[in-house]
Amino acid sequence: MTQNSEYAIEVHNLTKHYKGLSAVDNISFTVKKGEVFALLGPNGAGKTTTVEIIDTIRKPTSGKVILLGMDVTRNKYTIIPRIGVLPQGFSSFDRITVKETLQFYSRLFCRRKTDINALMALVNLKDKVKVKYKNLSGGLKQRLGIAVALVNDPEIVFLDEPTTGLDPRARRAVWDVLLGLKKKGKTIFLTTHYMEEAELLADTVAIIAKGKITAMGSPGELIENNADYLVILLKSVDENVFEIVQKMGFLPVYDSHGDIRVRLDHTDDVRRLLNAVEAGGASFNGLDVRKPNLEEVFLKLTEETLLEGSAGIKEAK
Amino acid sequence: MNLHIINTTIIHANIIWANIIVSIKSFYREKTVVFFRIAFPVILILVFGTIFMERDNEIFDLSVQDLDRTTSSEKLVEAIRLSKRFKITPVSPAADAEQYARINKRNLMVIIPKDFEMSMMQKMGPGDIGIPVSLTKLYDPSAFGVTTKIGVLDMVLAGINQEMSGKPPLIVSEPVSILKKKYRFIEFFVPGIIAMAVMTASLFGAVNVNAELRQKGVLRKLSTTPITRIDWILSNVLYQFILAVVSTAVMLLVSYIVFNVSLEINAWLVVFVALDVFSFVGLGMILTRVAREAESAAAAADALMFPMMFLSGTFFPVEMMPEFLQKFAKVLPLYYVNEGLRASMVAADHMAALKCALIIGVFAGVVFILGIMITKLDGETT
Repeated sequence: MTQNSEYAIEVHNLTKHYKGLSAVDNISFTVKKGEVFALLGPNGAGKTTTVEIIDTIRKPTSGKVILLGMDVTRNKYTIIPRIGVLPQGFSSFDRITVKETLQFYSRLFCRRKTDINALMALVNLKDKVKVKYKNLSGGLKQRLGIAVALVNDPEIVFLDEPTTGLDPRARRAVWDVLLGLKKKGKTIFLTTHYMEEAELLADTVAIIAKGKITAMGSPGELIENNADYLVILLKSVDENVFEIVQKMGFLPVYDSHGDIRVRLDHTDDVRRLLNAVEAGGASFNGLDVRKPNLEEVFLKLTEETLLEGSAGIKEAK
Repeated sequence: MNLHIINTTIIHANIIWANIIVSIKSFYREKTVVFFRIAFPVILILVFGTIFMERDNEIFDLSVQDLDRTTSSEKLVEAIRLSKRFKITPVSPAADAEQYARINKRNLMVIIPKDFEMSMMQKMGPGDIGIPVSLTKLYDPSAFGVTTKIGVLDMVLAGINQEMSGKPPLIVSEPVSILKKKYRFIEFFVPGIIAMAVMTASLFGAVNVNAELRQKGVLRKLSTTPITRIDWILSNVLYQFILAVVSTAVMLLVSYIVFNVSLEINAWLVVFVALDVFSFVGLGMILTRVAREAESAAAAADALMFPMMFLSGTFFPVEMMPEFLQKFAKVLPLYYVNEGLRASMVAADHMAALKCALIIGVFAGVVFILGIMITKLDGETT
């Protein structure tokens, strides 16, 4: 055991097969104590399998996970009291109230001193004390799930897609709770497919696709190391712009505001593109040239993996 | 607080208790579940008890068509009436007997022939040529219980015959009960209903709760807490046992108040209820694990429950069934709960109860251990 290690989580060559299919394919990474770590990936990338092996729900096919200095497959019942888990699609007993649910989980951990009121205040559920679980909205259920994950005052908190399926307001409410935990210095392991969530909360982001980690680092590092291209945004365009850009061999996309976004691999392409639009008699009212954001980096990295079938680990750290 | 030592008995007892509290709260907050668990078996006892209470002192309906209409034929009808076993409905001599029976749904009708009195005079006089006076019994062979009714009529007629002959009977039989008290059908029925109600509630309770919690992901969440498989199964068993004790107490109370049943209540009752719960919660746990979907687990529970309900002697004695079904009944665990409960509650036969308890005890043990071995809280499929 390496209890005094600076790492809360160490994952070594982790692999998980389901009936011949590889859900997690020989991944390795570490999470420092007090760090917020986000595992970011599209649906079916292997996020949940990875987190469920680390938080003791599943067993790996091969590889090793060291949690707080202990091998998870051999020390499940020693590790469990020291971690808190919000599994994907958290659910609880329908006819049990918010307060009773927290009391129940607190009793499972034999915690007599858990401050249930403080927990309910933390997740902003104090006015729902007597509401039964089945009568809570999706966002409130997730917040209760987070509170349940905290009843044993864990050293590491695992949150598997904590905001999936929530409306923007409920998502922000959950983020506020997570930011509060971050301030308290908890080690948080988060899986998500929302870029802004990872960008807002995480110190370190690992991008996973097809069971492999394709890039890892802080959000800034990921952008820096993978932004080997530019993004040009043409605002308030007329109909011809899209066609002109496409004819040049670029891949224009409309965003939600109706503006056109184009990925350019070379700086010279900016002038070439603008000249072509002008020569074609098309017009636009605004222009923005910038480096890609995390979402664009994510799309690039996961698309590459999906196209190539495999990709090497790009360690940014 | 030392949370590292999680596998101690005290901590496990706390976990089991916490689970039981949540289960009980979930139970009483769902009124339909309370109805089916507590009220339904009571309704069964009330309905079947009322039906069969009548049967214990049953007075049969009997239609009589007197074609002779003489003093002798009227005396015969009166003699049948005086036996107090039949309520007689006279049928007009002008009526077509078969048509009457069909239209009025009469399953047994006695027709006194036109020359009845004359035949009786001949029979009792010096000119008797040894031919008995004949009545016609018109009956519907498809009617339930008609053979019993014919048997009772024959018995009454035999009594009248013997009385008319003026000679004492050559052979008589004296009924001696093997039981210490006089028992009625309801005393047979109540232990069977207790066994069946505990079985269905335990089996479906375990299947429904576990399948639902697994599908919703609650079991996956529980697998990230200190609760173990043994804690989980034990809390399921104890919760079902508490409900079974309450339900049994209510069933017995109603049976005493409404039917004034005479049943022995002793420690065997608790033993058999506990073994019933252990067996069928364990079986439910196995079904939940083997059948992947909640619906298929419930269907599998149905497939197990129905043969047991009808072939284990819950509603009628196993001895009424054909021999091969009697042999089949003896491989059904509920048969031994039924037999054991009746041995202790009706016959007060402790040796027979012990024998049944040992058999169902072995079954409960095997099923419980298998349940622990194959139950998983984490939803891992491989």
